[in-house]
Amino acid sequence: MRRNCSYVAALTLLLCASAGWDLFAGPKADQTTTNQSASAASNDSYMGLSGEELWSNNCLRCHNIRPPTMYGDAQWDVIVHHMRLRANITGQEQRAIVEFLKSAK
Amino acid sequence: MKIHRCYLAAMTQAVFLIAAAPLTHAQDTTSDGYVTRKEYDELKAQLLAMKRELDAIKKEKTVAPKRERSENQAVASTASTQGNLEGQNVSDLHKDVSSAVVRPVSESAGSLLGTTKFLLAGWAEGMFEARNGQVSTFSASFNPIFLWELTPKLLFDSRLEIEPSGAGTNVNLVNAQLSYLLNDYMVLGVGEFFSPSNVFVERFEPQWINKLPDRPIGVYHGILPNISVGAQVRGGFPIGPTRANYAFYVSNGPVLNTFDARTAGTLDFNSYTDNNDNKAVGGRVGFLPIPGVEVGYGFETSKPGFQGTAFHDVQALVQSVDLEVTRDSDLLKGRINLFAQYAWSRVDHAVYDPDGSLGFGPLPLTAKRDGGYAELAYRPTKLDIDFLRNLELIFRWDHLSRDPSGLGDPEETRSTIGLDFWLSPSTVVKAAYEWDQPDGQPNKNALLLQAAMGF
Repeated sequence: MRRNCSYVAALTLLLCASAGWDLFAGPKADQTTTNQSASAASNDSYMGLSGEELWSNNCLRCHNIRPPTMYGDAQWDVIVHHMRLRANITGQEQRAIVEFLKSAK
Repeated sequence: MKIHRCYLAAMTQAVFLIAAAPLTHAQDTTSDGYVTRKEYDELKAQLLAMKRELDAIKKEKTVAPKRERSENQAVASTASTQGNLEGQNVSDLHKDVSSAVVRPVSESAGSLLGTTKFLLAGWAEGMFEARNGQVSTFSASFNPIFLWELTPKLLFDSRLEIEPSGAGTNVNLVNAQLSYLLNDYMVLGVGEFFSPSNVFVERFEPQWINKLPDRPIGVYHGILPNISVGAQVRGGFPIGPTRANYAFYVSNGPVLNTFDARTAGTLDFNSYTDNNDNKAVGGRVGFLPIPGVEVGYGFETSKPGFQGTAFHDVQALVQSVDLEVTRDSDLLKGRINLFAQYAWSRVDHAVYDPDGSLGFGPLPLTAKRDGGYAELAYRPTKLDIDFLRNLELIFRWDHLSRDPSGLGDPEETRSTIGLDFWLSPSTVVKAAYEWDQPDGQPNKNALLLQAAMGF
């Protein structure tokens, strides 16, 4: 049991250290998705992050992000509302992400 | 001569009359394709009316987007319209706009499209499992998620799990929650919801998100709650350049297993109706020091014993720590994900089957269990070759301690390696091999294949 805990602790420590290493950076939308939304820009900003950055930072923490064109405006309203409950993002972040997703189409 | 002139004048008048007759007639009939002045005036009036109507529609259309944005904040908004707009935050600005916009008569009479928003989401999966010591089998499930935004602040979400079983089909209600956005930093929820302390269940359980075909044993099997029936408050907020989040809840809580020697002292989190007046209290707090990194601590305390029995006051405490890291690396040409959670549960000392009537007592026990998992994944998202960019390599270690009585399931440790191929952002084909070694028993190594699609 102690050995197992040691493995977990070591792995955790390793990744924590790597997280701060400049070899790594915060999550970003992949090339395909970024290209699809490259023409769009959102004026919403929260804590210095644009709607696109909030979108990629928050969504990519759990799953692949879906391109903005995949859903309609009303659908994105519902989806991001739902994801706000799961990811515990703030209302301002929710609005900035929705604004970006709508403008990126 | 005079008579001749009269004839000439009469003939001239007759010619003029004959020539003028059609013109006069044309003003009264349309036999030659022309319209009358009356018809012309009517058509002109209709055209002007249509033009006015078109202008009105155009005007309404330009107002509509503003109105839609304002509606996002409009429900129950009683914000004052006074005050300087400059310097106000976005939320306040929306409220002001919403109160300033006058809805057209057509909308107050009822919009054809309605104001609620409904979305059917979810996922489906098919799986093949060949496990040592068991018959190999295919399985499948359909997991629809119903999302109904009644207003921009009110959301109902519910998930069903539908899967073939035996000769029939199992349909389970996984969750059903009504939530209300109290403000930018707080959400209230009531109903059946995913337990916030179980990060895997709340965030990674959908099979198009879960990178491996099966789920880690450490976060199921009675160590961590997965579904709770009760009420919760949750949200997130900034702390300088960092962020934090929280979720606290009151629920029916688990049921203490007391009737079976194998499971004595364990907690049953799948019993959703309460067995006493005591309510469980739990929650989780998370901290994000930098984007893409989150650490969390979760807990749940309860009195899980049946009311009116000797176990009524037995106290149970579950605690967990979790870590989620998502980082991009130019050097590694891809993305790294690390998900880890470890949990400990403790049920205070009690004597099970004290009079021996159940055949295994008296069994004095302070029930302690622990379990968890760590999963590391790498996807070369920065490579130029599409095929390679869609591959993802995953390794997971998970562990579950033995049942506290020593008579049930032994300690189990598994290591799993998997390879995923992503057909789309939410469609994946997975292959994995699992080394599963229960303590003192034959291995349960398994080959797992799965295709999953989120929608």
